[in-house]
Amino acid sequence: MVFSSLIFLFMYLPIVLLTYYICPRKWRNLLLFVVNLVFYGWGEPTYVILMVFSTIVDYTCGFFINKFREKKRGVAKLFLILSVVINLSMLGFFKYYNFIAGTWNSIGGSLAVLPILKTVTLPSLSFGSAFPFIGLTMRTVPFTLPIGISFYTFQTMSYSIDVYRREAPVQKNIITFGTYVSLFPQLIAGPIIRYKDVAYQLDHRKETLDSFTKGVCIFCVGLAKKVLIANQMGAMWDAILATGQDNGWLGSWVGIIAYTFQIYFDFSGYSDMACGLGNMMGFEFLKNFNYPYISKSITEFWRRWHISLGTWFREYVYIPLGGNRKGFLRQILNLLIVWFLTGLWHGASYNFILWGLYFGVLLIIEKLVLKKWLEKTPAAFQHLYALFFIVLGWVIFYFAEDNGGMPAMGAFLSSMFNFGGIVIGSDALVILLSYLPMLLIAGAASTPIGVRLYDKVKATAWNPALQSAYCAVVMLLSTALLVAGSYNPFIYFRF
Amino acid sequence: MKKIYTRLPMIIFLVFIGVMFILFFALPKSEYSSSEKRYLAKTPELSEKKLFSGDFRDDAEDYIADHTAGREFWVGLAAYYNYSLGNNGSKGVYNGRDGYLINDPEEQTNLSRNVGYIEEFAQHVQSRLNVPTTVLVAPSTGYVCADKLPAVHKEYRDDEAFTEMKNVFQAARFVDIRDSLKAEYMNGNQIFYRTDHHWTTYGAYTAYRSLSEALGFDPNSESTYEKTAYPGFYGTTYSTSGYWLNPPDEIEVWDNPSNDVEVTIIDGETDIHRDMFFYTHLDEDDKYPVFLDGNHSYTVIKNKNAATDEKLLVVKDSFAHSLVPFLADHYAEIIMVDMRYYSLPLQPIVEQEKVDKILFLYSIDNLSTDGDIGFIE
Repeated sequence: MVFSSLIFLFMYLPIVLLTYYICPRKWRNLLLFVVNLVFYGWGEPTYVILMVFSTIVDYTCGFFINKFREKKRGVAKLFLILSVVINLSMLGFFKYYNFIAGTWNSIGGSLAVLPILKTVTLPSLSFGSAFPFIGLTMRTVPFTLPIGISFYTFQTMSYSIDVYRREAPVQKNIITFGTYVSLFPQLIAGPIIRYKDVAYQLDHRKETLDSFTKGVCIFCVGLAKKVLIANQMGAMWDAILATGQDNGWLGSWVGIIAYTFQIYFDFSGYSDMACGLGNMMGFEFLKNFNYPYISKSITEFWRRWHISLGTWFREYVYIPLGGNRKGFLRQILNLLIVWFLTGLWHGASYNFILWGLYFGVLLIIEKLVLKKWLEKTPAAFQHLYALFFIVLGWVIFYFAEDNGGMPAMGAFLSSMFNFGGIVIGSDALVILLSYLPMLLIAGAASTPIGVRLYDKVKATAWNPALQSAYCAVVMLLSTALLVAGSYNPFIYFRF
Repeated sequence: MKKIYTRLPMIIFLVFIGVMFILFFALPKSEYSSSEKRYLAKTPELSEKKLFSGDFRDDAEDYIADHTAGREFWVGLAAYYNYSLGNNGSKGVYNGRDGYLINDPEEQTNLSRNVGYIEEFAQHVQSRLNVPTTVLVAPSTGYVCADKLPAVHKEYRDDEAFTEMKNVFQAARFVDIRDSLKAEYMNGNQIFYRTDHHWTTYGAYTAYRSLSEALGFDPNSESTYEKTAYPGFYGTTYSTSGYWLNPPDEIEVWDNPSNDVEVTIIDGETDIHRDMFFYTHLDEDDKYPVFLDGNHSYTVIKNKNAATDEKLLVVKDSFAHSLVPFLADHYAEIIMVDMRYYSLPLQPIVEQEKVDKILFLYSIDNLSTDGDIGFIE
């Protein structure tokens, strides 16, 4: 289930909020756990088992880590490793197995010409069939990716690690722990909440009308980002891709800029809705985005973009690898590892790895040479520089295997830089003009201008009226656009 | 009081989702949406199989979307919201001048292929059976009524398509009606409906006159017909667009009183009707099916008082429905076939029914995209 759907807004959410507030406080975590599983199982009922399994494993590991961490550090470490291995195996299998199998087969296909390798027998994973197969081929298995697995495995690992590091208290109540693992607001698209950040709230949060009101406002901001901006920008990008004619270099730039807005408003809108829903139930989550497109460098961009993921990799990968404390070359290597993993985390496709490394290399270059030089240039140039590489990054990000992969990426890049060709195709121009006001709104909404204006009225008596008007308008328009999206006249192919 | 005021956003939010929740259960559910011309989703059935296959989820989401309270209101609000932001054709329909709702241009994906099929077929029936083929293609509303389009619109490439057809059609005789339609339109006649993608009865009559030379008949003058206009016609572009504030069209029925007609519709079952006009459809918003009852795979129109005893085969889309009644004055029998529903070769019909002439009648949008014309062989 996604938040920006009619079933969530007008069915799931009213029921959850009503039962949550009717329910006595001591049962609320149990209730949340149950509704979380309904939310999760709605997409893929079978994978609820996976989530319950994950909960039990990490609860158990956390329990033993806590038990042994003072006296038998080695045993505690063993349970930590167990937790990490199980989480990564789950993630690895469900997210990357087919990708690895495909890659392996393409390598294996060329290796298999060596006679000696033909005799090698690899018992490989076969799914839904007991048929063992021989040789170098790994069978690809058609299963769907469990929703949110990238997020909740990272969350549960943070729990085991933090308990081991004595940075978080152990959670004795498995229901409460399950509530944390499966917490529906952030289940599908984050933010990745570290256990230590919500440990206290899980047992001691106070739901207040003020925090509820605040939650409503933040939720509406997120809903507007998602439905009013991201979906529109997505439609624009799709339209540009579908013109079936030469869009021209400007047309290609316009398209990828629309995608640039789509991905930001989609993702940050989702995070905002998560934070807002959390507030409605007394939680307080950390901010996940901080106007990333106003950055003056790639380094700054990654401090403002998907903050919870960056934090996770820094704390649980980069620093444990030694960070910048083990010499210069090691730091470069560590950065490349982190960015390789960051890329891979985004999906099982080569372009994501390329995307991660692209930013890794840019960050290293900035660190080594560019930073000092950049700081002396005018601010406008710094913005332009950062945006150029951010937008270029989204080209790499978009063209996953499903979207045409490397060949489509190459074709798109060459059209972006084909300045000798046509400027903009006629259809692309029509699309640009049709969406121009929305594009400008998206641009303005990527900056803190709106919030600065709002700050001026925030302290006045107008504030609640303004907030109310905003929420009402967003709810009305979002409902309209969501319903319109499901409005499919069957006009016998228009006849 | 002040406390309540500061919590106004929360109250608005809760009232809104609460009211929508209650209305969903409280309001009666309609089975059919006349504006969408489809049956709405039924109450989802829960079974173990459906739950685990994801069918239950999809059914439930469709059900909730289809029965959201005030569905039409929301669709309209979305259309006008997009319109106010300069995105006129958000649903593929432009809100043009003078109330014209015009489909945006179709990609001409299948045009060359379809034109090729028809020409090949025409060669074949000409050489083997000595039956001549005529082709008439209706241009798009956006092309003929270009002055009604909004400033920002995609290009209508009808001219390119017509040039291509003129070049390809050799065995088939191509009747180009662009100029006559445009001339009639310039003279202040309504050629296309404002709320529907079809041509008006006057538009169809213009096309009928243009066909006279190729098909070899003497067209009747306007005064031959008893004309009746019916108001309140909301057609397909209207229901697609969401621009609910646009005014309706009038639909005209031109009836030649001297005809003695029997219409046989074979579409699963066989129905016989004593008239080419199906007046019960005038009670609906979309009144165009008043002509020959809308789309059917195989229709036979026999006229005892026709000018000739010839048989005409019409291979068509729905643009033919308003034109064929005019042709019926001249042919003892017209067989009308819709390849979208009749997926069999046509030569057996030509042979067995001893067809004298063949007419292909399509709109440019359909001819550009249709995937079924290949069945003619």
